[in-house]
Amino acid sequence: MTASSLSSNALTRDDRRFGFRLTAPAGILLAVLLLVPTILTILYSLHDVPANGRSLGPFVGLENYTIVLGSSVFWRSAWVTFLFSVGFVVLSTLIGLAMALLLNQPFIGRGLARALLIIPWATPWLMIGILWKWFADGSVGGLNAVLLMIGATSDYHDFLSDPNSALAITIIAAVWRQASFAGILLLAGLQTLPGDLNEAASLDGANLWQRFRNITLPWLRPALVTVTVLNVIYAFLQFDVIFAMTQGGPGDATQVLSILIYRQLFGVTQIGLGSALAVILGFVALAGGLITVKLLYARGSQPA
Amino acid sequence: MTALASIAPRRLSKAATASGRQRSFAASCGIYLCVAVFAIWILLPVWYLVVSSLITPAQLGVKPFPMVPGSITFDNYLSVLTGSTGSKGFGSTDIGARLLPAIGQSFFVSSVLVVLNLTIAGLAAYGLSRYPFRGSRLFELSIIISRVVPAIAIIGPFFVAFRITGILNTPWALIVSYNVFTLPLAIMILKNYFDQLPREIEEAAKIDGASRLQTLWIIVVPLARPGLVAAGVLIFLEAWSEFFYSLVLTNQLTVPPLLAGFQSVQQFNWNALAAATVMSMIPPVVLVIIFQRHVVGALTAGAVK
Repeated sequence: MTASSLSSNALTRDDRRFGFRLTAPAGILLAVLLLVPTILTILYSLHDVPANGRSLGPFVGLENYTIVLGSSVFWRSAWVTFLFSVGFVVLSTLIGLAMALLLNQPFIGRGLARALLIIPWATPWLMIGILWKWFADGSVGGLNAVLLMIGATSDYHDFLSDPNSALAITIIAAVWRQASFAGILLLAGLQTLPGDLNEAASLDGANLWQRFRNITLPWLRPALVTVTVLNVIYAFLQFDVIFAMTQGGPGDATQVLSILIYRQLFGVTQIGLGSALAVILGFVALAGGLITVKLLYARGSQPA
Repeated sequence: MTALASIAPRRLSKAATASGRQRSFAASCGIYLCVAVFAIWILLPVWYLVVSSLITPAQLGVKPFPMVPGSITFDNYLSVLTGSTGSKGFGSTDIGARLLPAIGQSFFVSSVLVVLNLTIAGLAAYGLSRYPFRGSRLFELSIIISRVVPAIAIIGPFFVAFRITGILNTPWALIVSYNVFTLPLAIMILKNYFDQLPREIEEAAKIDGASRLQTLWIIVVPLARPGLVAAGVLIFLEAWSEFFYSLVLTNQLTVPPLLAGFQSVQQFNWNALAAATVMSMIPPVVLVIIFQRHVVGALTAGAVK
């Protein structure tokens, strides 16, 4: 093959400047819209900002952070966030994997089933929250009707006003959407799995579980890593579903960090405290993001 | 391939029976049972929503909920569309009347963003793919990281800036702020797509004397159409779905915060809300199903080998 003029080692200085100029509008836009507000929020978190937000107010150093980290409300909310995230990530990934494996089998109506998989993913998060809030409703809900019909319960139960079940229902609602997303990505991964690999293995006498364990799972590993890490990020940043379903209630049973921050910033307008909380949440999510990047690069360095 | 080494040596006698081609009757039953569970998991909530939108409040009050209603009505849709839901909210006009304008605003915001982002992100992604420069790797990294910055961490400064410039509560507040998440998404998808496009045609065009911009416009854009469509659909979907920025920066201008507002109005009944939700779900769901192949391909190109 002849030396390619567009391969990166043959680029002239002018070519590189051209690439820079093409990227500049996006770069400038993102710097203004992302970097500047991020820096401002960090500044807010170091000041006792007045409620009208017109000025920074007096500099208080890390006081907002010590107040946040010393408050039981924060730790309670962090715990709820943790519970929500664990349930959300584990269930979304496992149900997604199960759906992908199923939809990769040949059966009549598979095309239709795959189109069904799209619906939860394409539905806006907030509408998923609305849908599930009413589906789980204690008087007009469909969930109660179904549970009653199959004989699982004997009476209507108001799941979302019960602190013991509210968080579980919000998790199921969010999983309903995210499992589809995971299923779509994992199904695409399965479809690239060469069929003769499985065939050869079964000729070799490998049973279903052995084939899954030794062929399918290793093949899906990169996709599974990506899906899991994306699920982690979605879990930490989840706001819409919980806002629509419980607004953090009953009491503080579903008050994840993003809801707590919303209340601090827009309910009681504690801009300094809310900003400190937002920075903490940002760091937690950023840690997740860095893990994503790290895992992606670890994967990229593997041969084929 | 190392995994295969652990599997027992080949036994030809078992080959015919162990082959996955033929499925036993029991296995088929198992699969169709799983398909039924899958279909119920997806469709039950959707079915509940659709039925709720097609029955009267009186039917809704019946316990248990009529999963197969005796009669249906389109009154809920009509009352939302004509603004006669009987819920005044805080003003004097019927709040149901706000749905159609909100759908219009959602379309406007989403469409403007698609055009803007495909242009800006397309240029950037092409530059990053074909003419990497010093710092382009760092730029790509920060784009990936930007996906995890919580909206709530940057909304405050937006609110202040938009109040000063007077675009608070206008579609422009959303068109500007949504770039925070749509632009990185579009750049990632398009960069991925350009990376997969063969470079030979571009090189031929260059040899024929086409300038770099001409090559981009005449050769690359038509070739990249599937990628552009996929990115466009995903931008539209994200913009249509966005709730938080719209909640804070506007007065229920787009669909999601308006639906959330409907929920907080006491007299607004679930039947009407269900009808409004169905109407608001249709555009994104239909769009994605139409462009299913493109979208799923673009979405998974980065995630799956």
